[in-house]
Amino acid sequence: MGIRNLVVMGAFALASVSAFAVSAKAEDVTISVWSLDRDIQPAPNLVADFNKQNTGIKVEYRQIQFDDVVSEAMRAYSTGQAPDIIAIDNPEHALFSSRGAFLDLTDMIAKSTVIKTANYFPGPLASTVWDGKNYGVPKATNTIALYYNKDMFKAKGLDPNKPPQTWAELVEDARKLTDPAANVYGLAFSAKASEEGTFQFLPWVQMAGGGYENINSEGAVKALDVWKTIMDEKLASPDTLTRGQWDSTGTFNSGNAAMAISGPWELDRMLTEAKFDWGVALLPVPEAGAERSSAMGDFNWAIFANTQHPAEAFKVLEYFTSQDNRMFSDFGQLPARSDIAIPATGKPLKDEALKVFIEQLKFAKPRGPHPEWPKISKAIQDAIQAALTGQMSSKEALDQAAEKIKAVLG
Amino acid sequence: MKRLLSSITDGKGFDIALVAFPLGYLFLMSGLPLLYNVVMSFQEVDMFSLGSFWRPFVGLKNYRDLFAQPETLPILYNTGIFVAASIAGQFLLGFGLALFFWTNFPGASWLRGLFLVSWVMPGLVVGAIWNWILSGDFGVLNFLLRETGIIDGNIFWRSDPNFSLWAVIIANIWLGMAFNMILLSVGLSAIPKDLYEAAELDGANAFQRFWTITLPMMRSTIGAIISLGLIFTLQQFDLFAAITSGGPNNSSNVTQYWAWDLSFRQYDFAKGATISVIMIVFVMFASVVYVRSTRHEVRG
Repeated sequence: MGIRNLVVMGAFALASVSAFAVSAKAEDVTISVWSLDRDIQPAPNLVADFNKQNTGIKVEYRQIQFDDVVSEAMRAYSTGQAPDIIAIDNPEHALFSSRGAFLDLTDMIAKSTVIKTANYFPGPLASTVWDGKNYGVPKATNTIALYYNKDMFKAKGLDPNKPPQTWAELVEDARKLTDPAANVYGLAFSAKASEEGTFQFLPWVQMAGGGYENINSEGAVKALDVWKTIMDEKLASPDTLTRGQWDSTGTFNSGNAAMAISGPWELDRMLTEAKFDWGVALLPVPEAGAERSSAMGDFNWAIFANTQHPAEAFKVLEYFTSQDNRMFSDFGQLPARSDIAIPATGKPLKDEALKVFIEQLKFAKPRGPHPEWPKISKAIQDAIQAALTGQMSSKEALDQAAEKIKAVLG
Repeated sequence: MKRLLSSITDGKGFDIALVAFPLGYLFLMSGLPLLYNVVMSFQEVDMFSLGSFWRPFVGLKNYRDLFAQPETLPILYNTGIFVAASIAGQFLLGFGLALFFWTNFPGASWLRGLFLVSWVMPGLVVGAIWNWILSGDFGVLNFLLRETGIIDGNIFWRSDPNFSLWAVIIANIWLGMAFNMILLSVGLSAIPKDLYEAAELDGANAFQRFWTITLPMMRSTIGAIISLGLIFTLQQFDLFAAITSGGPNNSSNVTQYWAWDLSFRQYDFAKGATISVIMIVFVMFASVVYVRSTRHEVRG
C-alpha cells in the first residue's frame, strides 16, 4: 500500500466523517434540484414526497423552461451557482460530462443498492455515459415507432394486422394509402430544421448500419433516398419540412395521414381525437432481418461536480430512482428501466401501443453522446432539408454533412 | 464652491448633468452589452468561459470561420430581401391606408384604431396564426387562392424553398403595417390645411398636391418610419421561430434568427456574437438615418 493509497483512504475517511457530521446536523443540508417538470410531472412530486420523509436532507425544487435548461445551467455553473442536481436533455448530457461539470457517479452507482446500471435500457443508459464513466441516471425515456390507421388499411385492401416491416413495404403501403382526392397522405413524420428532424432521421441511418460518425455511408444515403421518394411522390405533406412531430401526428389523428412516425407522448391525445381503429408497429427496417434501431428521447438526472454535498445529492437520486415504478402509473412517463413492467391502463389500444414502444425501446440509441451534439445535429438537419427540397442529391447532401461533422469531431 | 453649486442649479453644470444622466443610462444598459458583444466576437467562447471576461483572444478567426460557412452568404442575402421587402410592403400599404383614413369618412378614426390590433399582438401569437393561414394542405390562404382560381395546386408557403422567406415577409408586413399607418397618419394630420387650399386655388390637381405638398412635408416622418422599420425588421425573430424555423435548408433563415440558433441551439456563442456585430453595423446605419431625419422635428 503506497503513500497515495493512504492519502486517498485518509481523504475518504475524512469525507465520510464529515458527511456523517453533516447528516447529524439534519436540517443543515439543502439540495437544490432543477428540472423542467411541471406540478403534474414527476420531479416536483417526488421532491415533495422526499421532503416528507425527514431524512435530514431538504430538497429545494426549481422549475426551468425547456428552452432555458442548458443556457441557464451553463450560466449557473460558470458563475459557481449551479444546483446540486439537474435534469438535462439526453443529447446535451455529454456537453457537461465531457468537461467535468457533472460528477462522476461510477463508484457511487457501483456501491448503490438502489441504482443498478443493469436495470436500464441500453440506449438511455448510454446517453449518461462519457468515456466509460457514469455521469448520471436516466430519468425517463421515450422512443418513436410507426402509428397506422387500421381502418384505412382495410379500406385500401391492406391487411390491418400486417403493418409495413421494411422500408420498401412502407413506401409501397404509403403509395396505396395516399389519396389526394380525400386529402389523405400515406405517412406523416417530421423533417423539421430542428432537433426533431435529427431525432426522426438518425434511427433510419442506424438501421442501415450508419451513424452520425459515418453519416454519408451507403445505408444512410439509401435512407435519405427513401425519405426523398416519400416527399417527391407526395406520400407525405411537403409541410413535413417545417412541421414538428406533434403537429404532423395531429394530421394522422384527424384522418389526413394513414401512418405516422412519432412517440408515446401522442397516446393520450390520440385516444381522445382519433375516431378510428389504430395500431403501432416497430419502425420498418431496410430489409427483412436487418438491425433494428430507434430514437431515444427524454431527460437524465445528473449531479453538478461543484456540489457541496455529493453523498446527499446521490441519496436524493437514489430516492428518485426508487420511485421509478410510479413513473408511468402516476405521471404517464416511461421509466428508462427494462426491469419495470408497465401496468395495464385498461385501455386496450394504449396497452397494445405501449407494448410495442417498450419493445422498440430495446433498440433505442442515444444521439451521440458527444459534447458538440447540437452542431452535429445541425449538419444532419441541413443535409436532410437540402436533399428533400431537391437542392442537392442525397449523396451530396450527406457528404457535405459528413465534412461538417468531421470538422466537429476533429 | 458657491459658483460650482450655482452652475449645477443653473448654468453649464446643469446642462452637463442633464446630458450625463441619459448618457450614463445608455452606456450602462445598451453600451456595455454592445461592447461586450463586440469583444466576444473576437474571443473563443464556450460554456465554461461564459462567466469570465478574459477569454482567449482569437482575432478575426470567428469572422473568417463564419464567412467560410456555405450558408452565410445566402443568409445575408435573405436578410437583405426580408428587410427590403418587409419595409417596402409595410410602408406602401401603411401609407395607402393612412391616406385612405385621412379622407375622414364617418368612423374613420375608429377603424384606424382597430387596425392597431395587429401591432398590439405578440409576435409569437401572430406567428402561430400565420402558421395556420400559410399551412400548405389546409391553409386559408391556399383555399382563397384556389377558390378564386389564381392557383391550381396548393402552394407550400412554409416548406417550399422558393416561398418560405416570402411566407414570413407576408406575415411581417401584416404585423408592421398598422404601426406604419399610425405614424404616417400623425404626419399627415400635421400638414397645415391652408397649403392644400392655396394649391387648389392655384389649380393643382390631386396628384400634384400629393407630389408637391404631401410628400415633401412628410419627408422627416417617412425617413423616421423607414429607419424604425429597418430596426423592427432586423429584430423580427418570433415569426421565424413560429413559421419556418429558418428552414427548409436555411432558405428562410436570416441573421437575427441564425444568431440565436448559433448561440442558444448550438452553443456557439462567439459566432452568435459575430453575426450580431455584423447586424449592429446595419442598425447603426439605420440609426444615423433616423437621427438625421428626426433632427428636423426636434428643432422645428
